[in-house]
Amino acid sequence: MSDPAAAGAATAGDARIASQARILRRLFLTLFLRGRGARGLRRGTAPKSIAQKLWVTLALYALTGCLALLFRRQSVFALGVYLHAMTFMFLGMFVASSAGEVLFNQEEGDILLHRPVQPRTLLWAKVRVLVEVSLWVAGAFNLVGCLAGAMGRGGSWLFPLAHALSTTLEAVFCTSSVVLVYQLCLGWFGRERLEGLMTTTQVLFTIVTVMAAQLVPRLVMHPHAISGVGIGAGWIVLLPPAWFAGLDDALAGTGAPSSWLLGLVAVAASAAVLWSAFGRLALTYESGLRALNERGSGRGRPRGRRRWLDRLVSAPPLCWWFRDPVTRASFVLTSAYLFRDRDTKLRLYPGISPMLIMPFVVLFQGGTRGGFRHGGFSTAFASGYLGLIPLFSMSLLQYSQHWQAADVFRAAPLAGPAAICRGARRAVLCFLTFPVLLLFGLVIGWFMRGTPDWVLLLPGVVTMPVYALIPNLGGRAVPFSSPIEGAKSVGRGLRMFGVMMVAVVLSGLAGWARHLGWFWPFLLAECFGVLVACAVMTRSIGAEVWASLE
Amino acid sequence: MIVLDRLTKRFGSQTAVDELSFAVPAGQIVGFLGPNGAGKSTTLRMLTGLIEPTSGTARVAGFDLQRDPIEVKRRVGFVPESGAVFESLSGLEYLEMVAALYGIPPKAARARIEQFISFFDLGFDTLTDKLLGAYSKGMRRKVVITAALLHNPPVVFFDEPLDGLDANAAVGFKALIQALAREGKTIVYSSHILDVVERVCHRVIIIDRGRLLLDGKPEELVAAHQAGSLERLFTQVTGGAELERRAEDFGRTFRS
Repeated sequence: MSDPAAAGAATAGDARIASQARILRRLFLTLFLRGRGARGLRRGTAPKSIAQKLWVTLALYALTGCLALLFRRQSVFALGVYLHAMTFMFLGMFVASSAGEVLFNQEEGDILLHRPVQPRTLLWAKVRVLVEVSLWVAGAFNLVGCLAGAMGRGGSWLFPLAHALSTTLEAVFCTSSVVLVYQLCLGWFGRERLEGLMTTTQVLFTIVTVMAAQLVPRLVMHPHAISGVGIGAGWIVLLPPAWFAGLDDALAGTGAPSSWLLGLVAVAASAAVLWSAFGRLALTYESGLRALNERGSGRGRPRGRRRWLDRLVSAPPLCWWFRDPVTRASFVLTSAYLFRDRDTKLRLYPGISPMLIMPFVVLFQGGTRGGFRHGGFSTAFASGYLGLIPLFSMSLLQYSQHWQAADVFRAAPLAGPAAICRGARRAVLCFLTFPVLLLFGLVIGWFMRGTPDWVLLLPGVVTMPVYALIPNLGGRAVPFSSPIEGAKSVGRGLRMFGVMMVAVVLSGLAGWARHLGWFWPFLLAECFGVLVACAVMTRSIGAEVWASLE
Repeated sequence: MIVLDRLTKRFGSQTAVDELSFAVPAGQIVGFLGPNGAGKSTTLRMLTGLIEPTSGTARVAGFDLQRDPIEVKRRVGFVPESGAVFESLSGLEYLEMVAALYGIPPKAARARIEQFISFFDLGFDTLTDKLLGAYSKGMRRKVVITAALLHNPPVVFFDEPLDGLDANAAVGFKALIQALAREGKTIVYSSHILDVVERVCHRVIIIDRGRLLLDGKPEELVAAHQAGSLERLFTQVTGGAELERRAEDFGRTFRS
């Protein structure tokens, strides 16, 4: 073995960095495609699985992108706004949900931080992978949109090229923005509050992207809703998707001065964010990674003081609800993870944020068209969407970095996971579903006062218990028992999509029943159906025994 | 080779390492001991650049830890207590990735990996076919040790390296670090298995609550404290003797 110090000195610094950058990029791409954890699988079988799933995901994005054909008769700018708003939402959600795991992975510190790697090289490699995968997603979604732009009103063969350029810029902008926000939080607020801030930032980022993607196309497509909306409107410069659409219009559309101005803003904003995130603040990244590696910090709880969670479950009314100690313990465990575990928070809250936002978007969309008075479907659909909160939450709570610790459930003298799942469901009900329902109730109570439409919320609310039980069928979704890679499963996404479609159909039926004057019999029938379904599902979940661990 | 001068680490109001100072010359194996929460891992994590000291300085292999962290990292090998690896890489992919980060050309890296494979009795097929997530704890530990030594560093920090290794591998490992020390490498060995430390280390440093308690040759320290063994000495100076009495009490209470 030769002396490494000598070997190191012999290699030119720049060459080493270039080579490290390539190696790290390959590493993070492999980790992204394979997932960070793998149990008991051979190389020949495990690595392909997530890559294959990724292809299916891309195919689904491409399919969703076909909706762009509806905009083929719109102007290049309007089509651009639609495509960029949706791309912004998809990329924003993808980057925000992946950034925590990719940028600030605690375990990674033990593997990489003591190696001779510059923090900037590490950060750049990670961001390149994020941008690369973002571009695959964006490319799949925009495929049909590019054709629609080339063949649509005022479009030209230049549109696909212009749109590819603007989409690449948008991916860089999205990724750099997330990195920049993390860096700024770290710089301003320090490590003590880093974890909480990262979660909050991520959730807010997701909410903003979902809102932007929902609102911008509507504002541009319906110029009568707000007077003066259009390419020349001054306020449009505040909306990032409009900047990139401006670039499309400047290069392949009207070429109007206002489009060039928006395009210029797109280029300048992307460059500024990129420079700030990687030029100015790259060193903060290392201190962030180091901060995550500092264990055992923070103030301890005063001696003898019980945690609020313990006090909550020991006091009425919850103590009456938790006669079974296993359910109670599972409730405490799930609640603790909902509030304290960074990994859980980073996956769960961004994951359910569309469920939190969309009901309001749907409701207000109905409202702008007079829906509070006539839009039965939008009101019913809004509450149907709310019903999905327990479903998505239970489904996401099964994944954890500490999944191996869940073996303790199997080691305990329990025949099956029913009591554990029950505790988790109740935690989701108490801390996620009830508060959102309350907020939603207050909002619609204010906006729908004096109208009888509020009853259309009932069909969605009534179905909540059924949705909450669905993930636990077949002994699945035991809290914190699966590796986090499973959260990327396309199968899970498709199941969720299926249930969402059922919610849409139910909402449609409720609106229709009300239109025909059969609303109350419909609700009664639904309540009966829900009771039967709950009884059958609870019985089935209760009878489940632990499946063998392979 | 390693010089700590009043190295301190505070987490909020809690002091994990409190003005720790000592020096380790080249070729020495130092047993770094202390009870749980004494600050051993925090010290090692500071010396390997994983966390930043609050105050004080440290020089490793002639380089200042805070001024030239990359130069320090180039000359240091570290086996962390967690034994963390990227589980979705195969063992060979992981080791090749680590070698590349140190600028070792692929051919040389493969040759070194093969040396370790034969030393640790790791099957090459296992290393190429299985992902690290499927390895046993001992196998994974062998890969982590290989990854720490692959670039032939002059300074090596081991944090509980024997965790998960079977008896044969542990014997081999002890012989390996003695051989490495004879080659002039400086080894800091943190472990709770005190009889191994007693047999392998030239010197022991015992810390508690972040402060230095004892520093010297094991046999001299044991003799000076009339302890009989390093384990006895350790329990004497860190309050472990009290635990034996408490265990007796606990046994009685638990029965009743």
